Amino acid sequence: MDELLTMLTRLLMGLGHLALILVVAPLLQGFIKKSKAFWQMRQGPSILQPYRDLRKLLKKEELISEHASWIFFLTPRIALASTLMAGLVIPNAWGWAPLSGWGDLFLFGASLGLVRLFLTLAGLEGAGTFGGMGSSRELFLGVLTEPALLLGLIVLAFITETTSLQGITAGLQSISPIFIPRLLAILTLGIVSIAEMGRIPVDNPDTHLELTMIHEGMLLEYSGPSLALLSFSEQVKQLLLIILLAQIIWPSALISGNVGLLGILWPLAFVLVKVTVLGFFFATVESLFVKRRVFLLPNYLATSTASAILALVSLWIIRGQI
Amino acid sequence: MVDKGRQSVRQLLMSLSIALAGAGLVWGMVIARGGEWFKTGLKFFTGEGAGLSLSWKVDGLTVFFLLILLIGQGLSSLYAIGYLKEYEDKKKNLWPFYANWFLFLGSMFGVLLANDGFSFLFTWEMMSLFSFFLVLYEHEDPQNRKSAYIYLVMTHVGTVFLTAAIMFLYTKTGSFAFDVWAGAAPTLTTLQLNLVFLAFFVGLGTKAGFVPFHIWLPYAHSAAPSPVSSLMSGVMVKVALYLFLRLVWLTLGPGPVWWGWLFLLVGALSATVGILSASVQSDLKKLLAFSTIENVGILGMALGSAFLARSWKNDIAMDLALIAFFWHSLQHMLFKSLLFMGAGNIIQATHTRNLERLGGLLKRMPKTGFGALIGIIGITALPPLGGFWGELMLLQSLWVNTSILSSGWSKVILPLFIGVLALVGGLSMATFVKWFGISFLGQARSQVAEKAKEAHPVQYITPLIAGGLAVLSVLWPAATLAIINLPLSVLRTGTAVGIGSAIGKPLYMSAVYLIIFSLLTVVVVTLSKRGKRRVTATWNCGSPLTPSMQYTASGLTKPIRILFSKVLGSQRLVKRDFGGTRYSLRSLSYEGRTKEVFEDIFYRPSIRGLLWLASQIRKLQEGNIHLYLGYLLITVIVVLIIGR
Repeated sequence: MDELLTMLTRLLMGLGHLALILVVAPLLQGFIKKSKAFWQMRQGPSILQPYRDLRKLLKKEELISEHASWIFFLTPRIALASTLMAGLVIPNAWGWAPLSGWGDLFLFGASLGLVRLFLTLAGLEGAGTFGGMGSSRELFLGVLTEPALLLGLIVLAFITETTSLQGITAGLQSISPIFIPRLLAILTLGIVSIAEMGRIPVDNPDTHLELTMIHEGMLLEYSGPSLALLSFSEQVKQLLLIILLAQIIWPSALISGNVGLLGILWPLAFVLVKVTVLGFFFATVESLFVKRRVFLLPNYLATSTASAILALVSLWIIRGQI
Repeated sequence: MVDKGRQSVRQLLMSLSIALAGAGLVWGMVIARGGEWFKTGLKFFTGEGAGLSLSWKVDGLTVFFLLILLIGQGLSSLYAIGYLKEYEDKKKNLWPFYANWFLFLGSMFGVLLANDGFSFLFTWEMMSLFSFFLVLYEHEDPQNRKSAYIYLVMTHVGTVFLTAAIMFLYTKTGSFAFDVWAGAAPTLTTLQLNLVFLAFFVGLGTKAGFVPFHIWLPYAHSAAPSPVSSLMSGVMVKVALYLFLRLVWLTLGPGPVWWGWLFLLVGALSATVGILSASVQSDLKKLLAFSTIENVGILGMALGSAFLARSWKNDIAMDLALIAFFWHSLQHMLFKSLLFMGAGNIIQATHTRNLERLGGLLKRMPKTGFGALIGIIGITALPPLGGFWGELMLLQSLWVNTSILSSGWSKVILPLFIGVLALVGGLSMATFVKWFGISFLGQARSQVAEKAKEAHPVQYITPLIAGGLAVLSVLWPAATLAIINLPLSVLRTGTAVGIGSAIGKPLYMSAVYLIIFSLLTVVVVTLSKRGKRRVTATWNCGSPLTPSMQYTASGLTKPIRILFSKVLGSQRLVKRDFGGTRYSLRSLSYEGRTKEVFEDIFYRPSIRGLLWLASQIRKLQEGNIHLYLGYLLITVIVVLIIGR
């Protein structure tokens, strides 16, 4: 009976975790858009605009290409489900992740990989050039980002001696915030996050100019509810990456025992502040730089891989193990 | 009339093959229940006394690979029932196929059971020979004859090394028995031990397809009929890897640390080179063959991590690496068989292996396509399917290996292999998105693709069975782990790794992940089901869409080809014809090519060296009878001096 109760609690907590992610994701998107508008001296759309966009898209009729098959229909659904799976290993405001055990940092990257697989397949569905172009570039980008993402996280795993993301954020609390390997790992993950979020200088989320787009190219054939699901899962992914970064830069404590209502709400407010700051930061980066040519990206992303390796070397040197 | 008889022969023989596999599996289940002999082994037909005696043994390690062999045999035999029909229609004599099929399977069985050097070499050569005949089955195509020839040459180069190592061990111990060798291994000097190891490494590595001994593999595996390809890629390379465990791990012993590094390095090299070459291929089956090299490389890395952990006495990392090795072997067998069967269906439906001519097949061959989709998710090592969990174990084992080391540069180098694995993962996604996306999605790129028909039911059911087994192995990780524990009990001491233990527990996650993921997908699908849908044309800036506007197979991975042009030896030839004038371009032709870099830097120089040596030796043969008499005299004198 007790076991059942704990399982039920965990299940409810897990559902709450997912619900929180789902609710907040469009808000972050709205905030980033607003911040960009700030730098461009514009009024900008309301911070709630992404919710309205999603609602509008969900009501609309869906157009499907005559060449597309069932994979085209399935992709947005798989993309959302799989992004949420990645969300299950990300420690939330209270430092808790529904799925945790050793090795779950690999699970994070791999779940996002599944999204990429289906998206690139869907890009080829329409039989047009633009989708294929998007897929081709996205696959290329995947080759470049995956090693950097994994190496960056692995360095953190070495620092904290665990390969669980929950354990990593918990362990980082006792590490100095200016510990050099940690800073280098954050640099790595920051660069990779920009690429994964599809932001400038890697990709431009606002453009629909065919020749420059990567992520949007694959979505070109989508409309209506499917497009809503895809944009939504992209927003969720963005939120996850930013939360992960926030938790690594400044982890919040794993709540233990009785702490009252204030104790429960405080970490939430704390995380919201961290996410807001990071969101504003990425909006600033996007406003300051220009999009780069596809073939300049290997250098850019090699920087992140190099800094991960540097982090590793410096870690062992600082610990006196080399 | 005649066809009726041939048809029943085909069905009868292939059913016999399935029945044998089934009987083997049932027999295995029955005897696998009673315990201890797994560790010590069950010997039979062992001729006592000196001299040449063929001896055989079954232990836990053998049982695991027998399982892989029998499942592979069952699946490909079932598939062959449908696949061979086409040869019948073409009035091609199938008896050579049947004969070689059974002999090939039998010899692989023999290699797995062999317990001494002589019976091993004997069955090993049989395995090479009969698979060579099977590769040669479609000998009408000169390309296939060339492929088979390369295979024959390379496999013999490998055997030379094996024979050398075995003869050396025989002269040292006076026996062919593996057990005797294992006892004598500690008495060998370091140099001798290392040389024997290297000979085994080259000999077995050639068969497994390690880079740089891999050049035959893409030719041979793609030239063979699809059921044979699936056996060769799914099972035969595993047999070679099995021997690494049997001959190196169990016989030569732990060995120095650099053995592990060698496995790890060569594995990483094979994985990277294999998948890079695969990503630029446009040949349906060659791409799969290159991906086999990649997976063998990953398995090699698992072996490397296990060897390193063994010499560093790091039990957790060793267990993890070994579990990763066996898990991945099983999954790769299932997925690669599945994909080769899918490729076989496409080839029979369209009679082309060129990806550039395919497209839109998912609508015409929906069931084959569904199977293939399962296959590509599995082979690219993505969750929720099994390929991912093996790699997870391997990554974790590399991580544990690194963090337990007290100091040294190894702590920097080992994690880099994690980065290599991630790179390989990204590349394999590009490869298989191309394989699946170009052939099954979009518009048909040629007449043949447009007229494609779904294959014989057996031919799409078999891949689905393979996919089902793969899903089952993830859904019931406790059973998979129980099977993996059989070889583990031979390779290591200590208690079995249970699903509840610290190492086994994350495997539990595989089932949890699959279930939650399916639930989430179902929820999202049902929630978003409503709404109107309309089928329209693809948006193409207002102009009509033609099939040639789609991305091509080479175009899709062109960025990768540009980035890795050095490794791939990619060249571009552009011919511009201005037709006399300076300004107006009349015609433009473009040709992109990749080549095997290893043929250039490794094989051509060594062939040239051999030819040079031969030409030097030829100088002895002047054709002058006096010279030959002189040689005779010198020989006699030398013999007399030595034999004095």
